Amino acid sequence: MADFRLPILLLLGLSAMGPGAQSLESTYRTAGPAVHAAFDSVRDVLQTSSAVFQRGRREVIFGTVVSADGHILTKASELGELEDLTVLVDREAYTHPRLLAEDPAWDVALVKIEASNLVPVRWSTIDEAPQGTWVVTNGATTRRQRRVQVGVVAANEREVFAKGGTVLGVELDPDAEGLRVAGVTEGSGAEAAGMESGDRIVAVGGREIASREELLKDLKERRVGERVTIRVRRGEQTIDLEVELAGRAELFGEEQTRNDAMSGEFSERRTGFPRVMQHDAMANKHYMGGPVLNLEGECIGVNIARFSRCETYAIPSLEAAELVKRLMDEPALR
Amino acid sequence: MMSSRLLVLATGVALSLPLLAERPEINDKRAPADRGDLEKIQSLLTTALPAARQATVCIDLGEGSGSGVVISPEGLILTAAHVTGGVGKEFTVVFEDGRKVKARSLGLNSESDAAMAKIIEEGTYPFVRVEDQDRTKLGDWVFALGHSGGFDKERGSVVRLGRIVRSSNSTVQSDCNLIGGDSGGPLFDLTGRLVGIHSRVGQRLPENMHVPMREFLKHWDSMADSEFLGEGPFAKKPEKGKGFLGVSVEAREGAGVRVRRVGRESPAERAGIKAGDVFLKMDGEALESKEQFAELLKEKAPDDPVAFEMLRDGKTETLTLRLADRDG
Repeated sequence: MADFRLPILLLLGLSAMGPGAQSLESTYRTAGPAVHAAFDSVRDVLQTSSAVFQRGRREVIFGTVVSADGHILTKASELGELEDLTVLVDREAYTHPRLLAEDPAWDVALVKIEASNLVPVRWSTIDEAPQGTWVVTNGATTRRQRRVQVGVVAANEREVFAKGGTVLGVELDPDAEGLRVAGVTEGSGAEAAGMESGDRIVAVGGREIASREELLKDLKERRVGERVTIRVRRGEQTIDLEVELAGRAELFGEEQTRNDAMSGEFSERRTGFPRVMQHDAMANKHYMGGPVLNLEGECIGVNIARFSRCETYAIPSLEAAELVKRLMDEPALR
Repeated sequence: MMSSRLLVLATGVALSLPLLAERPEINDKRAPADRGDLEKIQSLLTTALPAARQATVCIDLGEGSGSGVVISPEGLILTAAHVTGGVGKEFTVVFEDGRKVKARSLGLNSESDAAMAKIIEEGTYPFVRVEDQDRTKLGDWVFALGHSGGFDKERGSVVRLGRIVRSSNSTVQSDCNLIGGDSGGPLFDLTGRLVGIHSRVGQRLPENMHVPMREFLKHWDSMADSEFLGEGPFAKKPEKGKGFLGVSVEAREGAGVRVRRVGRESPAERAGIKAGDVFLKMDGEALESKEQFAELLKEKAPDDPVAFEMLRDGKTETLTLRLADRDG
């Protein structure tokens, strides 16, 4: 396994600093109250235009207010069952949120609460926020007060591919000739599409596939959430199944690396996004879903995944605004 | 103490730039007061970033990676001792645009975690200036760059903004969060001058340690001369007698010793030494017996270079190779 260098003090048997060290009072540190106070005008935007999904008193995930009458964009995979969730916007608590639509490629959900006169975020129209731009996003919250976490745009905008590629969620029989399904993974796209043990996969997306290698190669070039037509032979029948692809790491889990071990609570779904803007504000997996604001208070992105100790991904504003428009036009799920 | 080498470098840089950047006044405020102050920080950072990124490199060690930063047009690199791991080691350096060049480690300080390396391919490389006036203070705004988790061309190196939150003679701590792969990467002040090199982290999130520039300046000449300094935890000094060549030799009529057998995948085999070759001299000393040859080798440590004058097919040849580790 690759060894990315960085010793941890404890392992070296060293104390943090030598004797006679000077220390900066915590209020003046980047995450301290004195520094955060300079962001007060942007905090006001978080107060009115971010949402907090709570289960009991516990924060589950944040959300971004995208319409005056209660549409909220959030991270789908952290939401869980909606019934017992309370949604805080400003100082109001709303119950019975409804799931309107989801987009698996971006891992977002559009949720509706019964509200009026909310203040939706103002989408920034800048194509790509320059690196080094301040970002202001949700930090710890109370029932009445949203607080900030701050950072900067930290890397190039780009696509982040699913770690390990995409999968259907089947186990193939290694001894059989061709691609015989030996098992279907619970909760997978293959299961949802009705694939069964004994099915023989003969084509993917209209292209004939004869070997495991060909299948893996085909899936490697596809995205999480993409729906692909899988043609199978079942006995004498030929059946076309629409399978939604998942990320390998999400469905089958992944081995924890040393970097993961030092990253606290990172998002389970943290790779496989068509485009991300990266920033370095402190966060954990519950801090996702809320808006990422610049100093003007414009929304330059929506937090979508805590990747590591120092890396958070957001959906860039242009893509997020587009996504909201598309999801609002879709027929409601339930 | 300031080395003449660095003075030359600093002067050269000063001449090539229209203005030697002043210490930003925002550092003298205990906290930014308003949006105007925040914009000042943002503007300094976005201005300093492009040049800083160009000089920040990934140090690819094969089985892992760290980071480093180029500080002279000829390709002198500052990094961490636990990244280079020793003196005279060769590795690949990757610039942000994906360009790869070979480099070799120079000296290091195993107590402070400071290390130097040099690109060995000739060229002119993007570089940054070193903050050599020791002007960085507690509370100063700084930014970190590094190839977090390894090289990713699409992503580039990762920026983190923070402040100097603790400072002692041999270590500075910032609230720029580091992760594996960042080691050896640069910490800059807001004018883009190099103030530290990433070294280690604490268990708690905001403990991120860097080697301050003054630690480098203190031992600059020794490190440039490929010395292994100190007996600290960041690098293990190669032990005398552990050097491994991989040949057995026999006495010979006249001068030198004859190679009887060459070990598989040994440094000798890799250097092309074959059975029947005759070693006439080792590091300039005439070889007379098997025992004397063994005594000379015993003085050598892993990674030490050894020069042979050889006799092969009646012709004299010279050859230099590096010893491996007897235990590894």
